[in-house]
This record gives sequence, structure tokens and C-alpha cells, in this order.
Amino acid sequence: MPWHIPPMQTLSQRHTVYAYCAVWLLQFGYALHLLRQWRKS
Amino acid sequence: MSKPTKSLSPAATLWLALTLAALAIGFYQAMTAPTEATMGNLYRVFFYHFPHAVESFVWPYLNLLGSLAYLYYRNRNPERALAADAFALASAEITVLYATLGLATGMLWGRAAWGIWWTWDARLTTFLLLWLLYVSYLLLRRLSGAQNTALLSAVLGIFAAIDVPICFMSIRWWRTQHPAPVFGGGADSGIDPSMVPAVLWNVFAWLAWGIFVLGFRYALERRRQHARAFAALRFLDQTLTDEPLKHAEAR
Repeated sequence: MPWHIPPMQTLSQRHTVYAYCAVWLLQFGYALHLLRQWRKS
Repeated sequence: MSKPTKSLSPAATLWLALTLAALAIGFYQAMTAPTEATMGNLYRVFFYHFPHAVESFVWPYLNLLGSLAYLYYRNRNPERALAADAFALASAEITVLYATLGLATGMLWGRAAWGIWWTWDARLTTFLLLWLLYVSYLLLRRLSGAQNTALLSAVLGIFAAIDVPICFMSIRWWRTQHPAPVFGGGADSGIDPSMVPAVLWNVFAWLAWGIFVLGFRYALERRRQHARAFAALRFLDQTLTDEPLKHAEAR
């Protein structure tokens, strides 16, 4: 991982990584779920 | 009857593009903001925790408005009542989504900062109650077979909204484990000015995202309502046209 790049360097705390991943997974996962429902309806 | 469109409208596409750009900027701001003196990089959870927690207090009021509108229009204008019910359902789902993420990011932060996942502190308990109330709202919608599901959920939505001001004020009324308000909490509150852009970008970006998802969910529910109404009309139409034939055959 390119840890010298500022955004990567600041993600070195694992709880921060988990929190950000949880947000992206749930938010974008929910949006994808809605998109699939939309296409089916 | 015209075939429903499968793609987003130009306005919705533009809104989505701007929101995704704002989310990307918000992420970059959150990652490049100066490191906090005591918590180091762990404090960056705040940039995602704060928007989700604070916006969990916005969506329930939209649910309240939808619920009140449903009760008002129920016997006056059935079409508007259906639209209000769809809006209330969409805002309840967004409340659960944001409150779940407020809880999850808060627990991850608490585990690293305090050494515990959970404590029965005033803010955490009232926030959990908020989450449970809107989960029960969605369960009622999903599992209830009664004809008056919309009415029952509208009443539940009104009662559930009472928890919002209690939860919001809990860190002002009771000083327990959760930190005091970062913004608007008196003379000692606030953050370093260099961190403010990251907070604002993320608050507005996640708010814009929430509005987009809310609109999408509302449109989906309206489409389902129309499909159900269309199916019911077709059933009635078939029943009425078949009935005379059946009677004739019986004779």
C-alpha cells in the first residue's frame, strides 16, 4: 500500500478503516438494492 | 397506460453526480485534515460518525410529516394519502440506515477510544431506542397483514418522533460517557478551524446522498403502489366481465 500518500497514511488506524468501510458497504449496498428493485418493478 | 421508465431523470442523475463528487471531496478532506493531538488518526471516524448521527435526527421528522399528512388526507384525498404513506415509509428506511451507521461507527470509535463497545449512557441508550423504534416501524409494515397497516404505522411514526428531541438533548441534560456537543454546546465546544471543512463537506455530502436515496425509495414505493392498484383494477375488471358469462353458463 502506498502509505506515504496522505489519505492512505491516515488510514493506518484499523477502527477508522472499519468505520469507513461499514459506511460505504451499507450506504452503497442499500442504493444498489434499490436499483435492483427499481429495475425489477 | 405508459410504460414506466427504467432510468433516472436528468435532474436525479445530475444530483447523484454532484453528490458523488461531494462525497469524494469529503473523503479526501477527512483523510487530509490535521491529525488530532490525543486520539491521532482514530478521530477521523468523527467525519463519518457525526453526519450519520446528526442526520438520524432529520429523517424521523420527515417520517412524522408523512405520517401526519397520511392521517390528514386519509379520508379526504386517497391519492395524496398514498403519496404521504410512501414518503413516511421511505423516510423511516433512511432513518434506520443512518441510525445503524451512527451506532456502528460510534461503537467502533468507542471500542478504540474508551476500550468498550457499549455503555448504557444517556445518548447511546436513547439513540438505540430511536433505532429500535424505526426498526419496529419497518417490521410492522413488512409483517402486518391488516388492512390498516398505513394507519397503524402513521400512529407509530408520530410516537417514535418523540424520542428525537430527547436523544438530541440527552448530552445536554445528562453528562455521562458520551462527549458533550461538539457544535453549539457552549463556550468550550467546537473543533479546530482546520478540521471544519472536512466536517462540513461530509455533513452536506451525506445529507445530499440521503435526499437522493430518499427520493429513490419514495419513487420505488409509488411505483409499487401504482402496480398494486393496477393489478386490483384488472382483477375487478376481469371479475365483472366474467360474472355474466358464468351466470349464463349456470342457466
